[in-house]
Amino acid sequence: MIFIDPYWNSVALEALVTAVTVTGLYISNSAGSLSVAHAALAGISGYIAAVLTTNFGCPFVVAVLAGACGAALAGALLSLLTSRMNLLVAGLATLAYGETAEVIAYNIDYIGGSNSFYGIPLHTTFSIALFSLVCALFVAWRFDLSRLGRAAVAVRDDPVAAAASGIRIHYVRFASFVLGAFVAGVGGALRVHYVLVVNPADLGFTFSLPLVIMWVVGGSYVFWGAALAAIALTFIPELLRFSTDLRFAVYGVLLAVIILRRPAGLIPRIPMGAIGRYFRRYFPAELKPDGAVRRAPGGPTSLKP
Amino acid sequence: MQLFIQQVVNGLISGSSYAVVALGYGLVFSVMRVMNMAHPDVAMLGAYSAYLVTSVLSVTILGLPTSLLVLVFLGLLLVGGITGAASGLILERLVIRPSLGKAVLVSFIATAGVGIALENGITAIFGSLPVQVPSILPTWAIVVAGIRFTPMELATLVISLAMMVGLRYYVHGTKWGLATRAIADRSDVAAACGVNTRTVSMLTMGISSAMAGVAGVTIALSQTQASPFMGLALGLKAFVCMLVGGNRHIEGILAIGLFLGVAEALISGYLSTDYRDAAAFSLMLVVLLVRPNGLFGSYPTPA
Repeated sequence: MIFIDPYWNSVALEALVTAVTVTGLYISNSAGSLSVAHAALAGISGYIAAVLTTNFGCPFVVAVLAGACGAALAGALLSLLTSRMNLLVAGLATLAYGETAEVIAYNIDYIGGSNSFYGIPLHTTFSIALFSLVCALFVAWRFDLSRLGRAAVAVRDDPVAAAASGIRIHYVRFASFVLGAFVAGVGGALRVHYVLVVNPADLGFTFSLPLVIMWVVGGSYVFWGAALAAIALTFIPELLRFSTDLRFAVYGVLLAVIILRRPAGLIPRIPMGAIGRYFRRYFPAELKPDGAVRRAPGGPTSLKP
Repeated sequence: MQLFIQQVVNGLISGSSYAVVALGYGLVFSVMRVMNMAHPDVAMLGAYSAYLVTSVLSVTILGLPTSLLVLVFLGLLLVGGITGAASGLILERLVIRPSLGKAVLVSFIATAGVGIALENGITAIFGSLPVQVPSILPTWAIVVAGIRFTPMELATLVISLAMMVGLRYYVHGTKWGLATRAIADRSDVAAACGVNTRTVSMLTMGISSAMAGVAGVTIALSQTQASPFMGLALGLKAFVCMLVGGNRHIEGILAIGLFLGVAEALISGYLSTDYRDAAAFSLMLVVLLVRPNGLFGSYPTPA
């Protein structure tokens, strides 16, 4: 236990577990899709894991993995549903998917419906959460460097060019989405084992929106940026506790200011320092997330947007 | 049959509010390519303006005759509209204009942040519990052929429809409406032809936010309460209406809003209220699968 104070310990747990889920969101969205349903995927995993440990006495690790597999299945279904849609529309369809999952969870009596599912044993400790985050970041790192991850970046930056280069766009989107859903599912399963209760409302838009916010604020281009933003944005409202009433109002204003000042996120690129700047001068233009062409600092030529 | 018609009437009334808020989303998205997630919170501000005015006037309005109460009611609508328009213009200046031309997600998150700030700011001022708003109009029920509705419900329906007819006239019958449509089609070409995009953006934000403010007042008066988070459910449903209908067609959004309201009322009347919220989102999922750009029109998306 690093944090002796139980209150800060629980905040830290929340931050770490959210960071795992947001890392999953990062992997899912790396091929250009936009998911507003990751709270639902994480929540499905949470329900499965909670039922397994509470009602069947499963070992914790098995339950987490089973929950994550459930989330991956749900993510696969979602990805297949949205595969032919325009990206923005697909993102909004994921919103509908998450809300539908919430309504379904409300109406399953076995998992308590609107009364929540409770009595879950406490399993997630600080060290387990930290270990899981390290594992999730490792997966994201290896994913970024893998063939699939490179293909995903190609698909995100220019689907037409990627397809012309022989990349199977739908396969890449599907595979990265499912992998991300699995990681997000690990986060969801961990979360229920320290919150000790899981509620259908946890699956809805109000819980997916913060995840998307963390992903975008983190920069959405760097695998650890999303996790860092998740930790920061979990701690900000707690650090603002000196004004109990206004802290979420301040949080909202901060969010708007951050995203307006740095539209590409806090960490828009992998910062490589002097070496990076040296090499970057040979790449005159780089793509911003909105597709406009930006002049690289110090670059010899520039393409006007 | 009686119950069926009653539920349809109830659904039309709640659906008209969805449609008004959905039109705000659609109008702003058409003109500025911005998903204004703070839009339902503007409606919430309108509701709180009604609360403020009625709590200041509470003693004096108790004994007024009905004709004067109607005047008070119209005054409340005006106050709500002005509140909405003012907050919409401030929002346009501070948040939406800086995010123009950037990724859709930027404005999405910036306005969502403003929404969070508004909800929690109002919570900090008035508390998180719903505040009571007196029902200004008389509460007796009008009964026509066995269908019961209150004057307030009738007024909600009439005001919503009137605002949409007015908006339809504005967009299709005036010079500024022509400019609005031109920008919605091709903003760069419209600007090159001399359309002042900035003025049209401000007009669009002002009008849609004023409509949201008025809708907030009618909702607060018919539910006799306002709460800081009343925008969440309303906004999500209205968002669905806009997406299902497509952002460009006023009639389409109106039809979807009314349809959704009726469907929800029928489901909660005949099945169970648990499934009510499923109607909106399963409708949205099915429609987006079949027609990815909405039932009635395309949202030509930049991202």
